[in-house]
Amino acid sequence: MLRDLTNAIGHWALFLGLLGAAWSVVAALLGARIHGRGLQRSAERAVLATSGLIAVATGCLVAGFLADDFRLDYVYHYSSTSQPLPYKIGALWGGQAGSLLLWVLILSVMACVMVGTNQRKNRALMPWATAVVGATITFFLVLLNFIEPPFLTSVARPDGVGLNPQLKNYWMMIHPPCLYLGYVGFTIPFAFGISALVTRRTGDIWFRTTRRWTVFAWFFLGTGVLLGAYWAYIELGWGGYWAWDPVENASLMPWLTGTAFLHSVMIQERKGMLKVWNALLVILTFSLSIFGTFLTRSGIISSVHSFATSDIGPAFGVFLALVFFGSLVLLVSRLDNLRSEHRLESVLSRESSFLFNNLILVGMAATVLLLTTFPMFSELATGRKVTMGPPIFNLVNIPWALLLLALVGIGPLIAWRKASRENLLRSFVAPGLVAVWVLLLLLILDARAYLASAGALLGALARLDVYTAFQQFKTFYPAITFALGAFVLATVAIEFWRGVRVRVANYSESVMLALGRLVWRNKRRYGGYIVHVGVVLVFFGVAASGAYQIEAVRELAPGEPLIVDDYLLRYDGYRLVAEDDYFGAEATLSVHDGASGERLGTVLTEQRYHPNLMFPELRETFQHVKALGEAGSPQYAEGVAGLYRLVTLLERQAGREVKTPSTEVGIHSSLSPLAASRFAEDVYVMPLAIDPATGRANFRVFVNPMVNFLWLGGLVFVLGAHLAVLPDARERRRLDAAMALEERSVAVA
Amino acid sequence: MPSPSRSRGRPAALVLAALLLVVPAAAADDAAEYDLAARTILCDCGCHPQSVHDCACARAAEMRDEIRARIEQGQSGEQVIASYVAEHGEAIRITPVARGFNLVAWLGPLAGLLAAAGALVLVVRRWVRTPHGARPAAGGPAPPLAPDDGAYRERLRREVEELR
Repeated sequence: MLRDLTNAIGHWALFLGLLGAAWSVVAALLGARIHGRGLQRSAERAVLATSGLIAVATGCLVAGFLADDFRLDYVYHYSSTSQPLPYKIGALWGGQAGSLLLWVLILSVMACVMVGTNQRKNRALMPWATAVVGATITFFLVLLNFIEPPFLTSVARPDGVGLNPQLKNYWMMIHPPCLYLGYVGFTIPFAFGISALVTRRTGDIWFRTTRRWTVFAWFFLGTGVLLGAYWAYIELGWGGYWAWDPVENASLMPWLTGTAFLHSVMIQERKGMLKVWNALLVILTFSLSIFGTFLTRSGIISSVHSFATSDIGPAFGVFLALVFFGSLVLLVSRLDNLRSEHRLESVLSRESSFLFNNLILVGMAATVLLLTTFPMFSELATGRKVTMGPPIFNLVNIPWALLLLALVGIGPLIAWRKASRENLLRSFVAPGLVAVWVLLLLLILDARAYLASAGALLGALARLDVYTAFQQFKTFYPAITFALGAFVLATVAIEFWRGVRVRVANYSESVMLALGRLVWRNKRRYGGYIVHVGVVLVFFGVAASGAYQIEAVRELAPGEPLIVDDYLLRYDGYRLVAEDDYFGAEATLSVHDGASGERLGTVLTEQRYHPNLMFPELRETFQHVKALGEAGSPQYAEGVAGLYRLVTLLERQAGREVKTPSTEVGIHSSLSPLAASRFAEDVYVMPLAIDPATGRANFRVFVNPMVNFLWLGGLVFVLGAHLAVLPDARERRRLDAAMALEERSVAVA
Repeated sequence: MPSPSRSRGRPAALVLAALLLVVPAAAADDAAEYDLAARTILCDCGCHPQSVHDCACARAAEMRDEIRARIEQGQSGEQVIASYVAEHGEAIRITPVARGFNLVAWLGPLAGLLAAAGALVLVVRRWVRTPHGARPAAGGPAPPLAPDDGAYRERLRREVEELR
């Protein structure tokens, strides 16, 4: 009875929310048209009320998960009685309807913050911004009310199907909300951008006001991408972290265009240039955020992330078309208001380097888009289906990535307006020498292999053998990456050193104090440099772990050793387990130094099977074995072995749906700087099969050099991004000055 | 394909290399042929688009066994790939071959990069040669001031800000 009431409240809250959101759009547009402050206030209140209703609906669905209300179709599909509590809550975004609900919940909270923080400012921009955000909320609520309702109920069921086992990982619980914060966060800069175009207030207010929103969205999207990569690394067991799946690509594309936007607004702030480009970038970034969902839900591109091809695909297509083409038409109609106030003064200038940086970032996004959608074009043009796997993405993106890395170093040091010869020499000679030294060192260390590759590359070019040419060029990628990375690190170090030197000379501060104050008083600038360092570390991690990965596959009996690279692994033993919602075998391997035999650590790795509890016999046996007590007792081990036998028996009758396999990867990371040759290296162990009777196991082992630079770079990125958005007196002064001018011009108008 | 390796001078690696030398050359050839096929053929499990070599799923293990069996029967890696393509179509390759329409995917981005960079250089040079607005010549009279002009004030504010 209580559950019925909760579901009804959730259902009606979504419907009333839809009415509220629709009113917010109508009232904001009317308010904008007749300059009615009362109507705008009504629109803002409607946004607040809608947000409250969406929160109530979300609470009702979470309550359904917590109460194991399997009459709710959504709860039935993504939860089960044995699902641990955190995953019951996380199952909210395990499927389509819940993901949409989380998306609109985040958007509505952001809309409230937007309304709250703009009560006394941006009154000219707010009506249209409110209308755009309100329209986006309305779109999602239409989906949730009419196409993908989360409160559909059916007959009572004793248990649910449960969340996909691979999603039962804490990082996976954080990864989707992080991405949604990113996708949704770009709605606010987009709304203000559209408002600026409509109202012809195309100065710098709209992006200065939304700078924190942009950095916030960009930060969470970037973090979400990295968390997804980390999850793939520790969960999927193929030794890598990025598979270029369409949904992964869909998260990368808006991040790339968002990064371009963050850089190019600096030119508009300082020079009043690139106004059209900045408006276009914010439109592109928001459209790409929507595009990913359309791409995978419409079924035009298959993806491991698509919960299923569903009816929301066409709806997203229509919404995307309206957003993108509508915004472009608006942009074209406002070209007169978007004229630059300045022109470039030299090709060798920071402005130009930012233009090239934008070219590379948008070019990378376009490349990813082309490759992701290429199967569709291929089928249209030739009638043949093709697969776009990781190799082509990796090979084709390398030139873009290397150029981008070079520009990360050049951009911050080259002078504004026009770089003089002295500026170029002063800024780039030392970092350039460092880069050349690193490059030569790496090439000489492996000269024979590089010479062979160079010969093969020239031969492939002469034969017009495109694939081999790309493959051979890839050989040079790590060396060039390390050289360019060293170049960037040197430029950043020079920037810090120059700033510190000036402070030490002018204020007689100690070096550490000068460094602290330098960063604290220029948070945006130095936060940006720290982000650049993070990017370099990520490049190092990707280059080294991709190029120098070592792999071995070997079947071992308990007690047997395995030598991989300069490690010796010993398979110490295994035990059978039945916990939570799985049973399986847990293998223990000790990791030793291959030369000295010194023990470095231990890795635990598991092969799990998640029984389908819809089979009553399997459910009862599983519950019985779990109740037998601690793992290790003969009775318990025999019980788990019995589960293996039962599953094999049932599979003969019912097929593979009896169980879902998953693995827990075992990783030994070398994070001590004392072991310099192994620093940041992982020994990564995954069982392909473990025989429950004898313990004989087939292991796949990878040695991934420097892979932890990737995660370390992510942490540095987080630190830099946080620093860049901390309150800054200089930024505040600039914003206040711009706002005062804007408010005066509104008053005059 | 030769590729640079880590050179750390490791005794364990030397031992392994010495062991490898006594393995019959035919087995090494088989391993190379298997590697070529397993890294080229797509695992048809429907998970991430991964090669049979890389994919960690149970179906990939089955496909690896199938490929190994064909190699042991005397087929070359290319022959195994060709037989899979004949059975399943071009989409069974993890990456499209670099010819025909597929060159759009292989070379399109690089061509785009070169074209866009070239175009950008030309545009920037043209901008540089034709200064914007009525900029006075060096030493010439300044244009008349229009203190009420919003755009002028905005520009002034920005330039003052730049000097701070």
